[in-house]
Amino acid sequence: MWVFVLGDLIIFGTYFVIFMVERSWHRDVFLESQRHLNLGLGAVNTLVLLTSSRFVAQGVRAARRNDNAHAVRLVLGGGLCGVLFLAIKSYEWASEIAAGHTLATNTFFTFYFMLTGVHLFHVVLGLVILGVVVADLKNPELRRVSTVEAGATYWHLVDLLWVVIFALFYVLR
Amino acid sequence: MTVAAKPDLTEVDPDRYRPRNKTDLTVCWWIIPIFYNFFGLIFVLLARVMPPQRADRNPDQIAAFFHAHTVTIQIGFCLLMVVIGGSGIANGLVAFQMKRMSVSPVFAYAYIAALAVGALPGCLMAAFSFLTATFRPDRDPQILALLYDIGFLSFVGSLGCFTTQYLVLALAILLDKNNIFPRWMAYVTIWQIVTEVLAAPVFVVKAGPFAWNGSISFYQGTVIFVVYEVCIIYLLKKAIERQPLGERIPD
Amino acid sequence: MRSSIARDPVDFVWIALSAVTAVSWALGAATDGSHLVTSVPTTLGVLAIALLKARGIIRYFMEVQTAPTWLRRFTDLWMVALWGSILTLYLA
Repeated sequence: MWVFVLGDLIIFGTYFVIFMVERSWHRDVFLESQRHLNLGLGAVNTLVLLTSSRFVAQGVRAARRNDNAHAVRLVLGGGLCGVLFLAIKSYEWASEIAAGHTLATNTFFTFYFMLTGVHLFHVVLGLVILGVVVADLKNPELRRVSTVEAGATYWHLVDLLWVVIFALFYVLR
Repeated sequence: MTVAAKPDLTEVDPDRYRPRNKTDLTVCWWIIPIFYNFFGLIFVLLARVMPPQRADRNPDQIAAFFHAHTVTIQIGFCLLMVVIGGSGIANGLVAFQMKRMSVSPVFAYAYIAALAVGALPGCLMAAFSFLTATFRPDRDPQILALLYDIGFLSFVGSLGCFTTQYLVLALAILLDKNNIFPRWMAYVTIWQIVTEVLAAPVFVVKAGPFAWNGSISFYQGTVIFVVYEVCIIYLLKKAIERQPLGERIPD
Repeated sequence: MRSSIARDPVDFVWIALSAVTAVSWALGAATDGSHLVTSVPTTLGVLAIALLKARGIIRYFMEVQTAPTWLRRFTDLWMVALWGSILTLYLA
């Protein structure tokens, strides 16, 4: 799993750098567009993902203690936060599109929709992975701490990438 | 020890054909790097489709582009008609290894069928629209511009057509218990999905990183694609080497 | 209950990162309005907070703190490279 996480960090790092290059070329356009993003929703979503990371991190420790029932509850809690993130993000996208801001509006919004979209794909993939972790935890034959750890590492990556997206897209001035 | 073992091998199954070596598989394998070298030569040097031309050109500049490169486009894409089948061999070899995995063979069938979806827009549409443009280069520049747009939009914009194929391959690798391919290859395959999905805005954007010649839509996707191809070609070689002689593959 | 939260690094990191997120939110809200203007202090603050959060997630949630040296080095290098490029491009 670390191969995936490190590679993903490099790929997303490149996207972030290209974003900053474009921003330095069209500073006014980016600032003007940024004003239309909902800062509050972005911040709440950051808190949602941080909380889900906390649940999952504690789930790993519970699994190490062999406290599997507790671990399942914690991982499910992390997954629920992920679903909440998806719901908030969908509402945010819907209101941006309703306000007339789409992929074609300008470079900032293309970046916004594509990068949050790819991040969303990672969230969905993460929910699938957490589902596999829960299934493994419930099955005594499949139960392995390394699976739980790998799934958790991926889930924290989703959190980490969002933290950077939040800073660059929502609050950079 | 092999002297004693050899007659046993035929005695277990005297009627069945047993290959004595892996020449067939090795020949198929060698076709893949040769094909991709032709592919690169045609698209980069001859047809000038890679790296893509600018998306924000006006019709007169587009007409000038076709006039300047008529001969190489014709040579390149006529050559492509002959070698394009090589991609089928590459995909067949991957599907063959997928059938050795512990997953249902439906993954291999889905892999081949999903690739067929992308073959036309991902490669041949560009060739036919460019060949049509160079067939009568004295056409109205507006019409040449149309063919130019069709060529690049299908070539770069079709990347999404390949996501199903990558998803099928990634899932098969992750579910496989026979360790045909290592798990990290599934992750490289998932990066392919991510970078190809990011090419979607080429249909609405004419300049910048998301245009069809953009740093994100084209260049980053292409870098990851080359990494992916090098990995899969290497792993195919390894899988063929480890494959037991005369192994029975389920239908 | 209170003492167990203080003893657990995961809970501590979670509370700390949530708190700095609130600070980041406040920094953004303070400069929000009908017309946004470039503000270097805000940006520096926001980037510093994001770096803090990224490192917290990597070190404590991903447990890189107790991971092999090469992994600690690689993730640190990633952060230095990314934040270095972002700052350079922002200030350029």
